[in-house]
This record gives sequence, structure tokens and C-alpha cells, in this order.
Amino acid sequence: MNILVISTLGDMLLGSAIGISVVFIALACLVIIFEFIQRMSINASKKRMLKAGKKDHEVVHTSGDDVVAISVALHLFLNSVHDEESNILTIKHNDKRYSPWSSKIYGLNNFQR
Amino acid sequence: MMKTKKYIFILIAFLFSAVSMFVSAQTSTTPLSTSGDTVQTTSITQAENAKSGTAFIEESLVNFVEGMGFANLNWQTIVMIFISCVLLYLAIVKQFEPLLLLPIAFGMLLTNLPLAGLYNPELFADGHVHWDMFANGAGLLDYLYLGVKLGIYPCLIFIGVGAMTDFGPMLANPKSLLLGAAAQFGIFATYLGAIALGFLPKEAASIGIIGGADGPTAIYLTTRLAPDLLGPIAVAAYSYMALVPVIQPPIMRALTTKKERAIKMKQLRIVSKKEKIIFPIFATAFVSLLLPPAAPLIGCLMVGNLMKESGVVERLSKTVQNELMNITTIFLGITVGATATADAFLNIKTLEILTIGIIAFSFGTSGGVLLAKFMNLFTKEKVNPLIGSAGVSAVPMAARVSQVVGQETDPGNFLLMHAMGPNVAGVIGSAVAAGLMLTMLS
Repeated sequence: MNILVISTLGDMLLGSAIGISVVFIALACLVIIFEFIQRMSINASKKRMLKAGKKDHEVVHTSGDDVVAISVALHLFLNSVHDEESNILTIKHNDKRYSPWSSKIYGLNNFQR
Repeated sequence: MMKTKKYIFILIAFLFSAVSMFVSAQTSTTPLSTSGDTVQTTSITQAENAKSGTAFIEESLVNFVEGMGFANLNWQTIVMIFISCVLLYLAIVKQFEPLLLLPIAFGMLLTNLPLAGLYNPELFADGHVHWDMFANGAGLLDYLYLGVKLGIYPCLIFIGVGAMTDFGPMLANPKSLLLGAAAQFGIFATYLGAIALGFLPKEAASIGIIGGADGPTAIYLTTRLAPDLLGPIAVAAYSYMALVPVIQPPIMRALTTKKERAIKMKQLRIVSKKEKIIFPIFATAFVSLLLPPAAPLIGCLMVGNLMKESGVVERLSKTVQNELMNITTIFLGITVGATATADAFLNIKTLEILTIGIIAFSFGTSGGVLLAKFMNLFTKEKVNPLIGSAGVSAVPMAARVSQVVGQETDPGNFLLMHAMGPNVAGVIGSAVAAGLMLTMLS
């Protein structure tokens, strides 16, 4: 099947034309299938909306400016929530908090005489 | 000060000669065999003893100097070291694709250091791995290069790419897949151009794939079809991907009118989780059945995406996006850079590849823009032709370029999400094109 192993200009063009056609056909098949799945998905959501008592699927068109404003606000909010770490690695002495769980003062052996 | 240096030098020379004498004495007194060689050994020992200490120092120093990389530098290696330094400069100072360009440039530096022996191209000569020669002393990069040669690293990278990719914009507007396909026009146009320049078909296909603007795909295909050209092709692919904001805008402006650039597209619908889960499974099965050689690339891309979209393997998804991706990038970059030896890189072919590579990018960009214009002749809902240019993969740089050029005409026009559709479709398109090339040429 060495279509692209060619010798003449005509063969060369034919090989390339077949190549780009196959890529197009492969992706066009995916387009057709996912257009179909898309329609099914939209119909299913419409049915769900009708069952829920709403008359029709209400499509709200938001302008690009609004979408960008919301995205930036979300981005800023989520960034402010995230802990900013210094990225500096140092050996830092960490004082242990006092914990009496293993303290000898409260040990049972204290009562042995 | 000078006297101190002199004494230190004498001391080092003395120590060096003492060690050499000890080593040579050990070697010569070791019986080589039980019979006839013993006589020869004895004579060698006598000859060694006859030599004066000065002769040993001289010999050792000569050996030492001859064993230095400095003594083995030639103009080719010097030029290659210079090129690697230029690439390091571009990666560090200009930040051109630094994640890949930096390891590639350093790999290039390592492989061109004389006598370092980190990478030995003869182990991979004629497109085969010569396993028998590995036992004779392969370098570190030879072992790491096996990941490239066996097609492991590009596939691992694709798992990470898949886990980081959102196919939502493409599924919201499935027609954008066609724009991704049109941008692959550059691959086949370049294939023709390379053949016309005298390249062999396999080499031409590997050069053409630069037009796909997809690094892992280019590396995968080149290791399969023309491994000798891997260095120049990888450098060209990643360099031009970094230069997408420079290469694409003039072409986009030249092929579109101001009115076309100002087209505002309808807001994309929300894609359900079910669709996002079905897509990777279906696309893998369909493309792999159509073009079996594309299965490793498409399969890895989609398994990564499924990990992300399914939402049930959060830990795996995070690992492939970060740790796996980063580790593979390091190995891939260094080893691909290592293939750029002076013999492989410093020839007229490299210049031709770099020239054809930029043409491939330009054709890919033009293909996407022109198909978007063509689609506008038939469709009711107009498509902004600027998103067509994002069909060359280069995710997400090409989509950003569409957004920037669109906003030059109308600052209120937001094309980024619309351009992400053709952009991710381009990744699938270039993998399909690579699979096709493999089917037809290997």
C-alpha cells in the first residue's frame, strides 16, 4: 500500500490528495456522529425541562464581555482562596507544642512506692 | 605565587606518575594466561622497569592530554556547542518553549562534548537498535534514548496532554473538527515540497509533520520513518511552535478582510459530562479501526482525557498531568537534543528542513483560515476565519493568537473558546495524519 512512495509528479499529487482526503473523511465522520449525539443530548435536556414543568428550554445568550467579566472574577476569587507558598526551602526549627499525652507526671508509675 | 603553582604542579605530576607506575606494574605482573603468555609478561615487566620515571611522567601526561575533550575539539563540535548555547539563550532569556527547548539544548551540548560518550549514534544505526553493542559500553543517553526509539516518550506525553485537554469547545461545535483537518493541509503540501527538493518519501513525510505543529507526533513519526533527521526536525518543530505568535498573524491578516475578522460567534453551548466521556472512547475506537498505526497516539491522548473527564481517578489524572508529564519531558528533551550530533546536524539538509518547516506552518495556517472562509459560503451561522488558524495544534498558543488578532479589529470580540475547538481538533488531525503516513510508508 505504498501510495506515497512515488516516482512521478502525478503520483505525488495523487498520494497527497488521498492523504488529506483520508484525514478529512476521518474527522468528517466524527463531526457527523457528534452532531447526532449533540442533537440527542439537546433533545434529552428539552424533555427533562418539559418534565420539570418548564415550557421550553430557555437559552440565555450572554455577551462575551459578561463571560469575560465572570471568568476574571472567578479566576481572582479562586486565586485568592489558594494558599500561596513561598517556594523557599530552608531548615527551620519548629518548636513542638506542649502535649501531655506522654508526660511522665501523669504516668501510672508515679503511684508506685 | 608562581613558585607555589610550580610546586603544586610538580606534586600533582609526581602523584600522577606514581599512580600510573603502580597501575602499569599491577597490569603487567598479572598473568594473562597460564602458558605462553607468561614469558611475554615477564619481558613486558622488564621493559617497564627499564623505563625511567621521567618517561612515565611524559607518557602519562601525553595520555592525559590526549584523553581530554579539549584536545579532541574540532570546528564542527565547536559550532554545535555554540548552537546549543544559542538555544539555551532562547529558552532562558527569550523563554521560547523553555520546558522543551532547555532540555533539548542541553542534550545537544552533552552529545557534542568530545569523548564524553553519553550518546553513541552507531547503536541506533540503520533504524534499528543494536542490542548486542549495548554490552560494549553504552552511554547514559543511549539508555534514555530507547524511550524515544521505542516510541514510549511521545505516547506518555500524549497521556498528559489528553489529561490537560478540554474537548468541550470542540464538542460544542463539532464542525471545528473540519478546521482541524484543514490545517493538516500543511503536512501534505510540505511533503510534496520536500520530495521536490530531493528528500526520500519517508524523510519528506517526517519533515511534513512539522506542519502539524505537534511535537510528540513529529518525534513519534520521525523515529519510525527517518530517525537520522530527528534532531533537526524536533528543533524545527519546537522552535516554530514557539514562534507561532510571529508566524501566524501576518498570514491571518493577509487572508481575511476586516469585516471577516470582526465576525462575532454565538456563545458555545454547555457540553454534558456524558458527551465528554463518550468522545474519548468513541474517537479511540473509530480512529484506531480506521488507521491502526495511529492507535498508540490517539489511544494515549484519549486515555488521559478519559481520566480527567470521568472524574473517578482524580489522583491518576493529577499524576499524568504533572509528575509523569514532567519526567517524560525531561527525558524526551535531553535525548532528542542528544541526537543533534555534529554529523547529523551540520549539513545542508538541516537548513532545508528549517526552511520547509516554516513553509509547512504557513500552509497549515492558511488551510484552516481558507476552509473557515469556505464554510461561511454555506453555513447560516458565520464562523470567524481567524479561528481556522488554530487548527495547527500548538495548544493553546495558536488559539491565543486567534484571540489577539481578533481583538485587534474588535476589542469586544472574544474568540478564545471558539478557537480552542479547532486547536484541540488539530491534535487529533495531526495524529491521524501521522497514522496515515505510517500506514502508507512503513
